Amino acid sequence: MTATDISQRKRFFANGNIYLPHIAVIEKIIDETPGVKTFHFNFKDEKLRKEFGFQSGQFAEYSIFGVGEAPFCISSSPTRRDHLEFAVQQVGKVTNALHRLGPGAEIGCRGPYGNGFPLDFLQGKNLVFVGGGIGLAPLRSLIWNAIDNRDKYENIDIIYGARSPHDLCFKYDLDAWDKDKTINIVTTIDKEDKSWAGRVGFVPKVVEEVAPSASNAVAIVCGPPIMIRFTFPVLAKLGFTPEQMITTLEKRMKCGIGKCGRCNIGNLYVCRDGPVFTYAQIKNFVSSEY
Amino acid sequence: MSGSKIINKKDIGKLLSQWNEEFVILVPSKEGDTTKMAKWDGKDTGFIDWYRNTVQASKTNFFPPMEEMFSFQKDKEGYHIGLASSDKHKQLIFAIRPCDANALAILDVAFKDGYEDPYYLSRRKDTLLIGLGCINPYDSCFCTSLGSSPFDSTNVDIMFTDIGEEFFIEEVTEAGKELVAKTEGLREASKVDEAKASKVKEASYNKVTRKIDTRDIDKKLLACFENKDYWEKVSAKCISCGICTFLCPTCYCFDINDELVRKQGTRFRSWDSCAFPIYTEMPVENPRLEKWRRVRQKVCHKFEFFPMNFGVVACTGCGRCIRLCGVNWDITQAIESVPAII
Repeated sequence: MTATDISQRKRFFANGNIYLPHIAVIEKIIDETPGVKTFHFNFKDEKLRKEFGFQSGQFAEYSIFGVGEAPFCISSSPTRRDHLEFAVQQVGKVTNALHRLGPGAEIGCRGPYGNGFPLDFLQGKNLVFVGGGIGLAPLRSLIWNAIDNRDKYENIDIIYGARSPHDLCFKYDLDAWDKDKTINIVTTIDKEDKSWAGRVGFVPKVVEEVAPSASNAVAIVCGPPIMIRFTFPVLAKLGFTPEQMITTLEKRMKCGIGKCGRCNIGNLYVCRDGPVFTYAQIKNFVSSEY
Repeated sequence: MSGSKIINKKDIGKLLSQWNEEFVILVPSKEGDTTKMAKWDGKDTGFIDWYRNTVQASKTNFFPPMEEMFSFQKDKEGYHIGLASSDKHKQLIFAIRPCDANALAILDVAFKDGYEDPYYLSRRKDTLLIGLGCINPYDSCFCTSLGSSPFDSTNVDIMFTDIGEEFFIEEVTEAGKELVAKTEGLREASKVDEAKASKVKEASYNKVTRKIDTRDIDKKLLACFENKDYWEKVSAKCISCGICTFLCPTCYCFDINDELVRKQGTRFRSWDSCAFPIYTEMPVENPRLEKWRRVRQKVCHKFEFFPMNFGVVACTGCGRCIRLCGVNWDITQAIESVPAII
């Protein structure tokens, strides 16, 4: 067994071994909620750092060596290249290990994988973002992307909810978007809370109340499966066609490249064909497979 | 009659020895209570008498139950990743059954699609497949319902047919032709040999009596995807042990895990199975917690999703999942009872 120097491998999509991670270094950690942290990182290899490219909505596989590998979307925007970000909810083996890391720790990262949001299709349209909890992570990559290319898009509406005020992720983003006059943002929490003066109600219900227009619009939905399931019918009632509803899904994934088998919805693999889908693509299966 | 050859069965040892100089040879082998394609010991050709098909499909030779993907170590400069050096050699599998050769062609598609899987494909490269037709198929075999037959030579390089005291040898691919050309000790086949071989093939074809109707099966499955009653009925006796998926020559699901022993780490992959609830378990939900959903996934993957993606049914009719199932679950019954589209 010979140790390969990571820096000698050519490029991210080299024809070499797709399963080998690159070494990356955690630069900063933000506590989003009691169970969610955002990690800022950069690749150790300088060349790769410059060359690495990705699209909003794509994900990567992250390794904690000795613990395992797990997929998370890249939550930063490709328009902001200083570093990369991903957000992690503490729920299992790998995510627990990630939450124990501090700045300077080395992790593995391979990717980017998946299709990303269809920017060409979205340009010139009104964007309606519907997010729940940590589901804002992939959306915020696209939101910042759209803000950095503001003239390419029409209205931007954001409806974002969480269980409680403490569970709202990316509060610094919510504040920034709130101050941005070109964006309409509505935040909501599921249940009344003393520390919360804003709107209360589940996300699908709030979408119904806010009633964004379907005219020249695309809704981009991400959150817990139950929120996604209940939001689609509401959007349909508002006139959104299945082609006008986009979601990005999460499944248990291992390989990230359509081989290991577990993340399929019908004939589509979330890792290979998604994670971004139109509702039209998955509606045959959505009621019982997602 | 172009180039078919004949070899006497008692000369198989000599033939394999000859090929052994160029190739590592795998033959049907007994290993404990199981049988699989394993390295030939250079002597034993007894498999000619006992071999019907191996318990473990030949996928194990290319996609082993467990394999190291890479190793990792940490030193003062951080983590370093090491790839196990792959021993590159030409190999030859002797007496592979048509169903298992067809299964490798199906796995090739899956492992080549999009990103290539380096582990599987490097083993597949430089491998010659010498097929041996079935003269004694099992009751559980149903290859003839899947466009194949006990003598299907589509995915082998050379095809052997048992015509009694001798084997009738047909070249299929260029690589097969080349090997036959430089092999000593074969005699030219005669018209009589050819007639014998045809007769054996026909008789074998008729011995495969289990049939399924795969016409429009993908459409029928799509139509009954939400038919919970049907799937609950079909999955009732399954005990989710996963053995059908491990023995299936076309199942390729896997898991990836790490192991760390005294700072020396290994990432390895191992077979996984859609029969297990944990296979799709997520923190918030599990889309296939109920058994009928998992059985549905297994059947639909083979007969609906794989054909949608790659134009071919991911089943070769080898029958292992029927004859080796502990509770007599039967995929042909499942397929035959899929409701017709009204």
